[in-house]
Amino acid sequence: MIFQSLRFKLTVWYVLILAVLLVSFSSFLYFTLSNMLYRSVDNKLRSLAGLIASESSSPLSTFGFGDMEQPLGASTNLKPIGKFIQVLDESGRIGQKSDNLKNVQLPISLNTLRNASNGLITFETSRSFGNTPLRIVTLPVIEGNQISRIVQVASSLEDVEDALHNLFVILLITVPSALVLASLGGQFLANKALKPVDDITQTAHRITSQNLNQRIKLLKGRDEISRLIETFNEMISRLDKSFQQIKQFSSDASHELKTPLTILRGEVEVALRKERAVQEYEQILRSNLEEINRMSTIVEDLLLLSKTDMDAVPLHRGPVHLTEILHDVVGQVGILAQAKQIHLQTVNSDGDITVLGDDLRLRQLLLNLIENGIKYTPEKGSVSVSLRKEVNAVRAAGEHAGFVKIIVSDTGIGIDKKDQEKIFDRFYRVDKARSREQGGSGLGLSISKWIAEAHQGDISVESELEKGSTFIVKLPMAVF
Amino acid sequence: MRILVIEDEKKVATFIKKGLEEEHYAVDTAYDGEEGLYLAESNEYDLIVLDLMLPKIEGLEVLKRIRGKKNATPVLVLTAKNTVEDIVKGLDAGCDDYLTKPFAFVEFLARIRALLRRENKEKEPLLQIADLTLSLVTHKVTRQEKEIELTSKEYALLEYFMRNPDKVLTRTMISEHVWDYHFDSMTNVIDVYVNYLRKKIDKDFEPKLIHTLRGIGYMMKRA
Repeated sequence: MIFQSLRFKLTVWYVLILAVLLVSFSSFLYFTLSNMLYRSVDNKLRSLAGLIASESSSPLSTFGFGDMEQPLGASTNLKPIGKFIQVLDESGRIGQKSDNLKNVQLPISLNTLRNASNGLITFETSRSFGNTPLRIVTLPVIEGNQISRIVQVASSLEDVEDALHNLFVILLITVPSALVLASLGGQFLANKALKPVDDITQTAHRITSQNLNQRIKLLKGRDEISRLIETFNEMISRLDKSFQQIKQFSSDASHELKTPLTILRGEVEVALRKERAVQEYEQILRSNLEEINRMSTIVEDLLLLSKTDMDAVPLHRGPVHLTEILHDVVGQVGILAQAKQIHLQTVNSDGDITVLGDDLRLRQLLLNLIENGIKYTPEKGSVSVSLRKEVNAVRAAGEHAGFVKIIVSDTGIGIDKKDQEKIFDRFYRVDKARSREQGGSGLGLSISKWIAEAHQGDISVESELEKGSTFIVKLPMAVF
Repeated sequence: MRILVIEDEKKVATFIKKGLEEEHYAVDTAYDGEEGLYLAESNEYDLIVLDLMLPKIEGLEVLKRIRGKKNATPVLVLTAKNTVEDIVKGLDAGCDDYLTKPFAFVEFLARIRALLRRENKEKEPLLQIADLTLSLVTHKVTRQEKEIELTSKEYALLEYFMRNPDKVLTRTMISEHVWDYHFDSMTNVIDVYVNYLRKKIDKDFEPKLIHTLRGIGYMMKRA
């Protein structure tokens, strides 16, 4: 688990990259420095050897075999401290030597001698000179096509090797300690950066459908994590809202279905408690049928609405002649109006009105509104339906050519101001008892609203208590 | 036993009334909170059946106002709301029992019997005065182990007498507990029914249980 955590991975990567960097840097430093130091030693030896060679090519008498610091110092102002110098003749016999080589001589290998006799300079490192490593340059002096002497200059490498060794030890200690510190620091940083992620995880763990009111604490600042938290919180809010809606909806729906169920069960149970006359049974069955029909309507409407929630109700769009379907619908509900002696009239002054939409749904919309008007209008009242065109005189690009208005007015009981905005909500009923008596499912206006909006239109209501209500549907005018 | 049913759904109120009347209860119905509250305050009921979602005055508010008037009539709440919070709210507002819709009618009747029994501090669903017994469940009435057939009204009248032994029961009290709201207590219907009842339970037996208190009413004596 810990090895899979982001924290661990981040730290490992961090340390790994730092290790590669530090090791390459240290190696570079070490090798460059050692190179430079050796080359500098070689250069010094080479130039001293060159100098001695040129000096010793002047009258031989000045450089007798033996002490050579004196004449060297006198002629060149040079004090080659710590350098070993010896001059050999071409056969390898030792001639002059510096003082510090009193009893010993610089080692010279056969190979070097051969090189020298061929006129080549040799640099070599010797470890056979006591305890100190020596760097030796062997330079043949050529005079008139012939090797006259061989100059050897040597210097101790002790200082250089000591310095390099110290550097190596320092790097060996500092690089790993730097890495250990860096891994601790990296872990700390990763912890700090990932702490909010832990918080989010914990909150997310705690959240179920029961406690969607929980939120993650917001951090100061506007970094990626705060944005993540904000987004997360917004998501919970949306979930919360839709859960509430679902809860409310299912509680409403079950309540709506419980009433007819209660009636069915109660009536049947009471009827079965003793034997009854045939008329009584008939009456009970008829009442039961009424409730069953009501339940079917509610279930159908509920199914339709839940499908619209998932955008699963396709509209079969085509040109719809509103004038015609209005005529049909009025014919259908005429009998209801007649039963209550309600005057049902249609007003259509703008000729044939066509919109682009779903014929069946628009019929349903008209039927809902006109039926409602008849239901909530007392006897001898009136319901009027008018179709009107509203052309947009000045039209911006992308705007509709105008609207078609369907206006359904009644002289009914009206709707209180406080109820007006809620009547399109599912199962909202101004007067539950009255609505049920009229056989409504409580979903008609919700469905009407959906139909209007699915056609890019809208629906609104104007109403005054005891005077009547007017429902206005606006649909965009079709362009052909 | 007289019961008030406050229920806005007319069909529900109707079948409850019908079912209860067939069980010899006198039933009044109210279709909204306002009417229900008025009836509850102006009459004496042995039990109130109350729906919670009512027009005009909410069911819980009706309950609070009834209890606010020190009226301890048992109340059975009948509602489609069935969450724990709803039930707790109802019980805390002073209802005695809770039944969620849709309900089994036999359970509804059993709960009503239980509430009425509780009211009379009886544990047995059987009333007994001397050698006369009345079963509240089967409605069987016997005297000296002989079964007596009673009509619905006679049964209701006898139940009221037997629930209130050794107490003076005026004609008004009898009309209030045995007949529903539409009964006119000024008629002599009560006397007629008491006489019917006497013929069935007292005529062929000794001692006589129902006594007339001239100008006041009636009393059922234990011995």
